[in-house]
This record gives sequence, structure tokens and C-alpha cells, in this order.
Amino acid sequence: MRTTTGTKADAVSSILFIGPALLIYGLFTLFPALDTLRLSATDATGLNSQANFVGLANFGALAADATVGRVLLQTAQWLVLHVVLAGGAGLAFAVAIASLARTHVFFRTAFFLPHVVSLAVVGVIWAKIYDPYFGLLNGALDAFGLGMLKLGWLSDPALVIFSVNVASSWQGFGIYMLLFVAGLQNIDNSLYEAAEIDGAGVWQRFRHVTIPGLREVMTFVVSLALINGLKGFATIWVMTQGGPFYRSELLTTYIVKLAFQFQEQGRAAALCVVLCALAMAITVAFNRWRESLR
Amino acid sequence: MLKFMTAARAAASGLLAAAMVLFLAEAAAAQTLRMWGPEQLNDPEIAKLWNEIKADFEKRNPGVTVQYMQPTGTISNGAVQAAIQSDAGPDVLLTNSGIGRVGVVANAKLVQPLGAAYEKRGWKDRLHPWLYAELKRQFDGEIYEFPDGLDVIGLWYHKDVMTQKGWQVPQTYAQLLALFDEARKAGLQPLVVGPRNNASGGHLFGNLMQVTAGRDKVGEVVAGKRPWTDPAIVASAQRVIDLVERGALAKDMVALDLDAAARLFFTKRAAFMFAGPWFTSNARRAGYDLDKAGFMPLPVDPGQGESLPTGGVGWSWMVSAKSKQTDLALRWIDYIVSQEVMVKRATHASNWMVFPQALPGLQPSTPILKTIFDSANKGVGYNPSVYIPGNVVEAYLQAITGLVGGQVNAKDAMAGIQVQAERAARP
Repeated sequence: MRTTTGTKADAVSSILFIGPALLIYGLFTLFPALDTLRLSATDATGLNSQANFVGLANFGALAADATVGRVLLQTAQWLVLHVVLAGGAGLAFAVAIASLARTHVFFRTAFFLPHVVSLAVVGVIWAKIYDPYFGLLNGALDAFGLGMLKLGWLSDPALVIFSVNVASSWQGFGIYMLLFVAGLQNIDNSLYEAAEIDGAGVWQRFRHVTIPGLREVMTFVVSLALINGLKGFATIWVMTQGGPFYRSELLTTYIVKLAFQFQEQGRAAALCVVLCALAMAITVAFNRWRESLR
Repeated sequence: MLKFMTAARAAASGLLAAAMVLFLAEAAAAQTLRMWGPEQLNDPEIAKLWNEIKADFEKRNPGVTVQYMQPTGTISNGAVQAAIQSDAGPDVLLTNSGIGRVGVVANAKLVQPLGAAYEKRGWKDRLHPWLYAELKRQFDGEIYEFPDGLDVIGLWYHKDVMTQKGWQVPQTYAQLLALFDEARKAGLQPLVVGPRNNASGGHLFGNLMQVTAGRDKVGEVVAGKRPWTDPAIVASAQRVIDLVERGALAKDMVALDLDAAARLFFTKRAAFMFAGPWFTSNARRAGYDLDKAGFMPLPVDPGQGESLPTGGVGWSWMVSAKSKQTDLALRWIDYIVSQEVMVKRATHASNWMVFPQALPGLQPSTPILKTIFDSANKGVGYNPSVYIPGNVVEAYLQAITGLVGGQVNAKDAMAGIQVQAERAARP
């Protein structure tokens, strides 16, 4: 009898504890996600109060939209660049500061600082750095007699995604660095000592001790970077608005344009569903691949 | 004594009842007019002006309180629509307009038709005749806005630089091209544009369309009655490419926004730039001496287009369809567009607006504004950015960056805009 009462009390207290979080999750995550799914099957424009059910027509329209193909390709480019630049910088800086004894905290804080700056502000700052006439980058190249290396960082269609991604990765790498630093601290130091005794050089120690030791962290960082990459929006929006001539348009910027400039919210919701499906597919595929390597 | 007490109680009750009636009558008469805008209320000078206007209106309309709502956006980003659809939205709005934007809220029945008010209140006579004719043309004779300010975009130049170099103000497009060559030889950027994330590219292209195709053809194009692939419009696009190939316009300017382009102009590293009267505000912030600024419509070669600045309605008053105080909202517009208030606003130190009616004897704060105001009296061509729907604007501005950056040819660029124009025209 006491046991039953205890179980009931446990259930009630569990519900009371979980309830608020569940309510917030349901209201602000689950409901908008389900509503987006509903919108994707309507002709909602944001202006018509009664959106009609159109089935899969929005997905058909997206398949016929030439911009979507280009945007998917550019989003893939953006994704790879984010993983390589932000994830790579995170790993490189983590390894570089790991061996520092007295200045470790200083550098860890300093390298993390860009992450606390808003992406919109980062966009404004880097747009000024890339300015072809007054910008810091081309100005510095000129000052060091390297004028021939001056490039149209935001005007060259072949370069624009890379340039904006550098800005975005500069803001984002700090969090990955912290994760790698935590991972490095968990690697048993005796493994390095043993490798050194066996005659392993710096590269071999990195290749055969550090990398395997960071396997779990790397999986997490790459998953996180893939999802963050897919969400890339603010720097593009502030720095190029998808230009020049659509060459930096991403899924996210196109969704915003469809929803709020074109007033095609049904189609925008359909593209959100595509983005969500892509995020899930990429994450699952990556994790399965990682599992297969074990 | 008892009689006196009874009488006093009766008198007190009577007074109380009278006070209650007065209070209730007052409460019933009290009205709050919620107004969306103006946008620049954070500027103390502008806030002072608008608070004076509000106080004057309230004085003339006892029992009325005007409440300004800080705009959270425009029709383009859906903020106006969201505000109107809410139950706490404005009665009257001052926001960015142009047929492209007004069409969005008019077609969604979010704003009230004002045609009857134009007739009843004589508003027609408070607009330039060409402007009234333009408004009547847009929605099959119905009007949904009262213009508050016009944009007048033309070519800005440095009068002092022209004098120093011994250059003459060009009278034809050919002379302008020759002057661009001279400017380049003198180490200046001949023409600067900042199309990266705003309408500066549209200012350039709108003016080129005006001088190449002429006002009527451009009007037909923005109204969807003539395709963007019309040879005259394709020729306008080709002129952008020609300017780049001639060295008058640098490819890397697609990386500039309006501020960056303006910096090149204000530091006199660039000779010409397309801008409107609002550019005086940028100039003051940059410490540029406006007495040395010149303004002219883009010139034409004989037998081509028309030399008119482009622009059209930039800001308008509209009445929310959800307002329960339509009459009060109309009274506010009546008041705000009266000559008295227009002159008060036009002569204010912060003003750079071109008003929608002729204001005789008006002395703008700078000579450049007088030049711009005078050019508006003669009428303006179309700045397509404010006349076309959102998806077409996007294709239009992207196409301009493609033309300047050498990524697309004239025909394909215009075909891309046409695809979006057809998409927008579908029900």
C-alpha cells in the first residue's frame, strides 16, 4: 500500500518537475515545428487568413525552382567550409594552447571571445574588413607590398561564399575549441610519454594519440558544426543578402526571402521541411559512418 | 435644520450625479488615435517637431490623444501587416510606400480605400497634378494612400571638383560618358554605386531605364503591361555593362553598400553618384559641405528617353482597415497634409523630404535641396524598386549586381526579372 502511494507520489512529482519544461518545449519547439509542417501543405501567403490545402504542390514548385538547386549546392559548399574552417580552427587552436602552462587560460579566453559577439555585428565588421576601397584586408596587402594579392572578397562570385564563411567561422570556432580542449584534457598523458619513448615525432603523436583520443569529441563537434552550418544565415544576410547575383544564397536566406519578401509562406515552410530533413539525414548518416569505423 | 440637511444632501447628490454624467460624457468623448510612425522619433530634433505637431492637433481636437507607435519595420518585411492584423494595431500609418508595397496591403484589404475622402476633402488639390494622375492610374481609379514624401533620385556631383578641373555639367549622355573618361584619367572613380544590400543599384538602373526607354515605357514595365525583356529595357541593362567595360563603373563595387559608396563620394574619390534628397542627411553626418554639391537628372542623347529624375512616392499615409476611428484618422491626414503643417515640416532644420505638393515661397535649408525640389515640380520618372512586388524587387536588385559584376548578360538578366514578374502576376 505504501509502495503504491509512493509510486503515485513519485509520478506526480515527476510530472510537476517535467511539466514546465515539457510545456515550454511543446509551445516553442514542437508546436511551431508541427505548424510549419501544416503550412508546407497550404498556399499560405501571410496575408490570406484562410490558407487552402494544396497537398505536395509546394514541394513540386520547389523542385521546379531553378534557384533551389543552386541554393542547395551553395549550402553544401557552405557546410563543408564551416566544418573545415571553424572545426579545423577549433582543433588547431585547442592543440596549440594545450601545451601552454601559464598562458593557457588567457589564450583560451581570448580565442573564445569572438563567439560572444553577435553574428550580425560580425557581419558588419567583416564587411568593412573586406571593403575593396577602405577595407583593412586589401589595405594591409597594399601596405606590405602585396597589392597583387588584393581580391574582390565579396564581389568575386567564386570567392564570396568562402569570404563570408571565414567571418562566420571566426565567430564560431571558439565553442569547438573549448570542446576539443576538454577532450584533450581527458587523454592520458602516459600515452604521449610512451609514444615519445618509442620515438614518435610531433606529427606521429598527433596522428596516433591525439586524433584517436578525440574520436568522441570529434563526432560531436562535426555533428554540431554540420547543424550550425545548415543554420548559417546572419553573416550572409548582413554581408551580401545572397548576392552578387545569388552566388551566396543559402537555404536559410532563401527561406526568409520566400516567406517575407515573396509572401509565399507555404513554399517557405516546405523549404523549412526540406532543411529539417537534410539536417536529420546528414547527422544520422555521419553518425552511422562514424559507428562503422569502430 | 432637518430641512437644511435634506436639501444639502439632495444638492450634493445632484452635484455628484452631474459630475458623474460629465465624467462619463468626457470618457465617452476621449479618443486615442494610434499612429504608426514616424520612424526617426529617436532623433531629438525630429521628436520635438512631431511632438509639437501632436500637441497642436490635440489642441484643435479636444478629447483626442495622439499616440505614436515606433515602427518595427515596413510593408516589405511584413511588420506593417502584422501590426494591422493585431488587435492593438494603429489607426493611421506613415510608412514606406510605392505601388509595390501599397498593393500588398490594399489587395489583402488591410488598408481602407481613400478615393471618397479624396473627393470629399479636396485632397486632390493638395498633390502635384502629375502625382494625383499617377495614383489614380494604379488601382483602377481607387486610391489607398496619401503621399507624404517623394523620392527624387538623380546624379550628385561635386561642383568644386568640376570647377577645379574645368569640367562642364554634361547636357547629353554622350557628354557624360566623355566626362567619366576625364574623371578616370584624373584618378577618380567616375561613378560609384553601392548595390550590396540595398537599393543603390536600383537608383542607378532606374535612371538608366528612364533615359533609355522613357517614362511611359518604364511605367508599363513596372505595371506588368510590358515585359522586362522589351528591347528598350534590355538596352538599359546593356548600358550598365557598357559603363563597366568603359571603366566608368568598377566591377568590385558590387561589394559596396550605400554607406561604403557614399564614403567614396564624400571623400571626393568618386565624381558622381545616384542618390535622392535623403543623401543630404548622409552628407551632414559625413561632414560634407552641401554647398559644394550639385544635382542633375541623368542627361539624354537627342531622340532618346527623357531626362527626368526617378523616384515617386516614398512614404505615405494609410488608414488601417481595422480602425474603428476612421473619421478621426482622416481628420489627422487632413491636418498633416495641410499647407500649414507641410510648410512647418518643410522649413524645419532636419527636413530633407520632397513634399507631394508645391509649397510656394519655400526656402529649403540648402541650395541642393532647392535644386532637387525644383526638379520634382517638373515630375519624376519611375524608381522600379518601389513599384514592383517583393519577389520582382529581389530579382531586379540581384540582376543589377550580376550586370555590374559581369556575371550575366543584359538579355538573361532581364529574362530573370520577367520570370519573377510573371510569378507575381499569377493569382
